[in-house]
Amino acid sequence: MKPHRTIARAVRGLGVAGALALTAALAPGLVDAQTRGGHVIFAQGSNPPSLDGMVTSSQASRNITMNMYETLFGFSEAIVPIPILAEGYTVSDDGMTYVIPLRKGVMFHNGKEMTARDVKASLERYRRVGATANLLSPVREIEITGEYEVTFHMVAPAPTFIESFASPRAPAVIIPEDDADADPGKTSLVGTGPFKFVDYVPDSHVTLERFDGYSQDGRHDGPDGFGGRKTAWIDRVTFRVITEAGARVAALEAGEVHILEAIPMPAARRLASSPDITLFENMPWAFSVFILNAAAPPTDNLKVREAIQVGMNMEEVMAISSEGLYQLNHRWQYPGTTYDPGEIGAEYYNLGDIDRAKALLREAGYNGEEFVLLTDSNIPQHNKAAVVIAEQLKAMGINARINMVDWPTALNLRLQDSGWNGWTLQMGIEPYLGPVAVTATLASPARPHFVVPDPTLDALYQALISGPTVEARQATFRKIQQRLYEIFGIVKLGDSGIMAAARSNVKGYTAFRFPRMHDIWLEG
Amino acid sequence: MPADAAHAAAASLGAEIARARWRRRRQFAARLFGHPSFLIGFAILAAFVATAVLAPCIAPYGPTRINYRAILAPPSAAHWFGTDGFGRDILSRVVWGTRVSLEIGVSVVLLTGIFGTLLGTAASYVRPLDGPIMRFLDGLMAFPGVLLAIGLAAALGPSATNATIALTVAFTPRTARVVRASVMVVQEMQYIEAAHAVGAGHGRIVVRYILANALSPLIVQLTFVFAVAIIAEAVLSFLGVGPPPPAPSLGNIIADGRSYVQEAWWIAVFPGVVIAVAVLGLNLMGDGLRDVIDPRQRRLRHGA
Repeated sequence: MKPHRTIARAVRGLGVAGALALTAALAPGLVDAQTRGGHVIFAQGSNPPSLDGMVTSSQASRNITMNMYETLFGFSEAIVPIPILAEGYTVSDDGMTYVIPLRKGVMFHNGKEMTARDVKASLERYRRVGATANLLSPVREIEITGEYEVTFHMVAPAPTFIESFASPRAPAVIIPEDDADADPGKTSLVGTGPFKFVDYVPDSHVTLERFDGYSQDGRHDGPDGFGGRKTAWIDRVTFRVITEAGARVAALEAGEVHILEAIPMPAARRLASSPDITLFENMPWAFSVFILNAAAPPTDNLKVREAIQVGMNMEEVMAISSEGLYQLNHRWQYPGTTYDPGEIGAEYYNLGDIDRAKALLREAGYNGEEFVLLTDSNIPQHNKAAVVIAEQLKAMGINARINMVDWPTALNLRLQDSGWNGWTLQMGIEPYLGPVAVTATLASPARPHFVVPDPTLDALYQALISGPTVEARQATFRKIQQRLYEIFGIVKLGDSGIMAAARSNVKGYTAFRFPRMHDIWLEG
Repeated sequence: MPADAAHAAAASLGAEIARARWRRRRQFAARLFGHPSFLIGFAILAAFVATAVLAPCIAPYGPTRINYRAILAPPSAAHWFGTDGFGRDILSRVVWGTRVSLEIGVSVVLLTGIFGTLLGTAASYVRPLDGPIMRFLDGLMAFPGVLLAIGLAAALGPSATNATIALTVAFTPRTARVVRASVMVVQEMQYIEAAHAVGAGHGRIVVRYILANALSPLIVQLTFVFAVAIIAEAVLSFLGVGPPPPAPSLGNIIADGRSYVQEAWWIAVFPGVVIAVAVLGLNLMGDGLRDVIDPRQRRLRHGA
């Protein structure tokens, strides 16, 4: 498979220079052979909370752990579940039994071969400590039915089970049976991935090195999404933590790091024509959303929430918070994807209708109650969006006050029923995973983002996960989209992208949900 | 009438004293404004204060007015200092930012002056309190002032009031020390003994005789505190524990510009220059004040 490459919009806009960059980008595939060896340094903004792959859903961890571990199933480049450590699966006609044969000859970093015992042990551990343990809740029992085969006995038929089981959000990684009883974060950090763990110095770096005993997946010609045939060319990878964005850019320009997880857009525009730097656009990367607290006054009033929805100018929020890398989208799916609900709700989106907002506020009897806008200082998209939204709310006559705290505190505060009215969030992985993952954050049994469960939405969520066909689920999701524009518990601001950047001597790198360190190599 | 004569004599003596006091003040002012560094410093401070007070008239735009069509615009006729990542006018934000600096600076100076004088005088005049007060203040001084302020502001939460409290706690010990030292010198003077001898009360002695004569080092110290408070406020805001966004302060404007130093230098440079000039002005003024107020220094400097 030919590595596809997304060139930054900024480069596309450059005409001749863009064409040159494109030529340069395609050149290695034509003339260069991959070279083995070298040490790649990747820079990211925050520490991984854990390197125990299954216990965290943090992107900072996933950047690293997805190079160390693998799962039974994962998403392909086209976001379709494909077997990775599994050979495949067969479902019984009643949907109650999944037989999953495993690939043979897959080695762990500790030199032992992966068998059904490791798989069962890993998944039983996932049920206990996995960050999204409920994705195994449809499974009643995991049975070892052969040295290289496990069988899942289900509680009830779950048509979307494999899709959610393949989720990389908090991946159900396979680890050796020896680690099955380890507490979170206490495993030996052994996996089956193309790179193995060397050391972790918090606030500084994580080092991985190539696992020479890695067993490639021979069913593919090259990497495909989270799976496929992976080839590790480089000897070592260092994931360096550099919190300051300006310092990360300086390090890239100086050649001290090879790849940046995200580069600020003004710097990307400046470096677009640099022959030393290649940009990788990940668009769309996340939903930018503004969550309203339906439990606390004044946002417990539906009319107030509707006023906010119609009074907001989404384009202004997105242009500023994403530094220009965005698309306007009222949908709760990316446009053109399988579950795209079309124009439902568009009549409420990006109106900036201050007069209508004021009229609704009057109708609601709003009388200057304080609106606390919760945000964090760590994620620029969050706090920039908050600043713009606060100004827009003030223009509607809402007494908005920003409460900016650090990210862990924000995550904690929004779990309170009161003390906040609005919260800015980037939803990264859920929209990538599809409608079930998005709706799961808004419906029971989880605590909905907007705090107060909506029975209609809860029922629609149940219909979605048990929908037998794609068409049935599409119809359900259209109703979900409709309902979200009736209860106004969460405001869709738009879709934002992120821009990754690399030194031009890094070859084979492509934009993806995590930095794939396999199938890249260093030139010169 | 002897009584009338005495009254007249007293009155003319009073008038004479008043004239002399007025003359002394005029001479003092003339000396101060004849001092070049005081004059420059005073001019800078006056400009700073005027900017802060007249912010609503000077600033061409609202300090929080967002314009997403003018993001990161370089300095131009429409935006003299350029715009930031929100399209907000940097000049307007700097102008309003001086107001925050001035508010915090003045509050800190007043509070530090009050608490420093109380603690310093108490430590020196009431001997049994000397040990406990000064050891406590030494404990506070063991922490670098700005670090202590950052810790306190972080614990109290980001707001202008909390920044003021934090800076007051950080700068009071030094001020109290200066007051204590000069009170100690003054209270050994013979005129204090004389005041005791004629039966003056403690309150009168402290206020009229001791503090009145121990003020000059305090004033110099407070100009220094004012300068340091402006820098420290910028530091706190830069670190995100000053006034919360979107309120402009010189420190948080610089913090906003930190990610764009190469692409939009104007965001950080202009408020930085304003801070540098303001602090320079205050230091020049403090130097001038010290020279003029302290006769020994003056004699030393003029070789007399």
